[in-house]
Amino acid sequence: MHKGEQSITVENLTFAYGEDVILSKNSFSVRGPGLITLLGPNGSGKTTFFKLLIGILKPLEGRVFLNGEDVTGDPFKAGVHASYVPQLSAVRRDLPLTGLEAVEAALQGKERAERRSRALEALRLVGAEDLVNRKLSAMSGGQLQRVLIARALVRDTPIVLMDEPFSGIDPRGRENLADLASELANDRLILLSTHDPVLTLNKSKTIVVFNRGVKAVGSPEDVYKLELLKAAYGSGVLIIEKCLHVLS
Amino acid sequence: MYLDPRWVTVMVGSAAAFGALSPLIHARRFSFFAASLPHSALLSVALGYVASSTLGGHPAAWAILVSLPFSSILVHLIHRGVSEDNATSVFVAFTVSGSVAVIHYVLTNYPARVSLWSYILGDPLLASWEDAILTAAIASVTIFLSSKLLLKEMSIGLDSEFAAVSGIKVKFHNYLLALMLTAVAVSLLRVVGFVVEHVALLLPSAVAAQLARSAREFYIVSILTSVLASVGGLVLSVYLNVAPSAMLGFLLLLFYVVSLLTGG
Ligand SMILES: Nc1ncnc2c1ncn2[C@@H]1O[C@H](COP(=O)(O)OP(=O)(O)O)[C@@H](O)[C@H]1O
Ligand SMILES: [Mg+2]
Repeated sequence: MHKGEQSITVENLTFAYGEDVILSKNSFSVRGPGLITLLGPNGSGKTTFFKLLIGILKPLEGRVFLNGEDVTGDPFKAGVHASYVPQLSAVRRDLPLTGLEAVEAALQGKERAERRSRALEALRLVGAEDLVNRKLSAMSGGQLQRVLIARALVRDTPIVLMDEPFSGIDPRGRENLADLASELANDRLILLSTHDPVLTLNKSKTIVVFNRGVKAVGSPEDVYKLELLKAAYGSGVLIIEKCLHVLS
Repeated sequence: MYLDPRWVTVMVGSAAAFGALSPLIHARRFSFFAASLPHSALLSVALGYVASSTLGGHPAAWAILVSLPFSSILVHLIHRGVSEDNATSVFVAFTVSGSVAVIHYVLTNYPARVSLWSYILGDPLLASWEDAILTAAIASVTIFLSSKLLLKEMSIGLDSEFAAVSGIKVKFHNYLLALMLTAVAVSLLRVVGFVVEHVALLLPSAVAAQLARSAREFYIVSILTSVLASVGGLVLSVYLNVAPSAMLGFLLLLFYVVSLLTGG
């Protein structure tokens, strides 16, 4: 479906909120298709990093390339190559919008009939047919997450960023979402952030360990070494160690 | 009881315009702006009067012309990173002081010729045929534009960052919405009056948000609520001999309370 290049490249990226440095001269590059997990604890700067990748935030220094095009600080350019699933907390659920309307709104400048049919198709793709006429405020976390994924997919971009899609969702819903992300990654580059490594680890082709900067990039087996995780998680690594056993 | 068609036209027209803008204000969290709007509208009307009597031209046209830069400055301040609260405080401080100065000037220099009371309390019963036609035209344009913008503005309200990625020029839409609200608020100030105007801008969508199940319903219910309160307010005001905009305000409040109790 998505032919051609699928890549995210970052060169010398530096960003700070005032004194609070989130990235300092970071470089990295990943290629699609496939599922790539960005793993890092809460507050490590994952959301900030995604906003830099998608052009919503401008770096102090450095460049961001999507599929080889420089999109630094430009959400319009970035939006041609990539779409975005924000954290649930970033959307205003109290607005009276149906699932269908929320997805349709992502297709600007298209005919109404085309918008509608593509939005329905995207909702079907994520298994959210039943949410077409439901108000956002009446949806569970998992249902809203599916609508937001449909909204990102309807734009039909080769790259999709998903920011903490498992947060605020029950365990069963998480399994289903992880399967969906992995399926969508068959022909897309999907970069998914999470603070909980268990769900997508064995479905990911690459893991990026992130804490105020990219700490390590590699296959799940490469990266899942205790030292690296300690670099990112510090004392929190004990819980994760158990999973290491399960996996190896 | 006599209901002049001119009164009905200005009441229904202005209510339809406010009811159509109200969902956009709600979706975009522009209530800080809507609340400051009557202040700049009053200043602009007073300035428009002075300008037209010294330089010629139509006072309403002057009023709209001078009001637009004020609103643009407010939006610009917010884009520059000034908080909404601070920007609004500065804006209101300026427009309120300006209004007092200009109104004082008008009242001392043109004492018999202008009724500023009608701008403060609202007076649809003074409407001429020219006012009625103008109001109908403003209402039509407002409904046309706001219905076109509805889904875009709601998607910015839902999540402005995704909206930017999906190709919506968010800053441009901030100016567009602010200028639309300003032009309508200034041109319809005399119908509803300074005191009630911001309630007329905010409450219709507050009612609709309680009842609506979709963006479409949100928009339609907001307009219907506004028009119903307006016609009801006009009838009651003629019947009870009280100010129409007072009854409009009371009815909107009543609808809001009922929607809180029944909706959800
Ligand atoms: N708009 C902002 N202004 C100032 N600091 C921020 C802002 N957004 C996030 N931060 C801070 O930056 C750090 C990283 O935040 P974030 O990118 O949200 O991390 P994560 O998504 O990994 O939880 C946190 O310490 C957070 O408090
Ligand atoms: Mg985050």
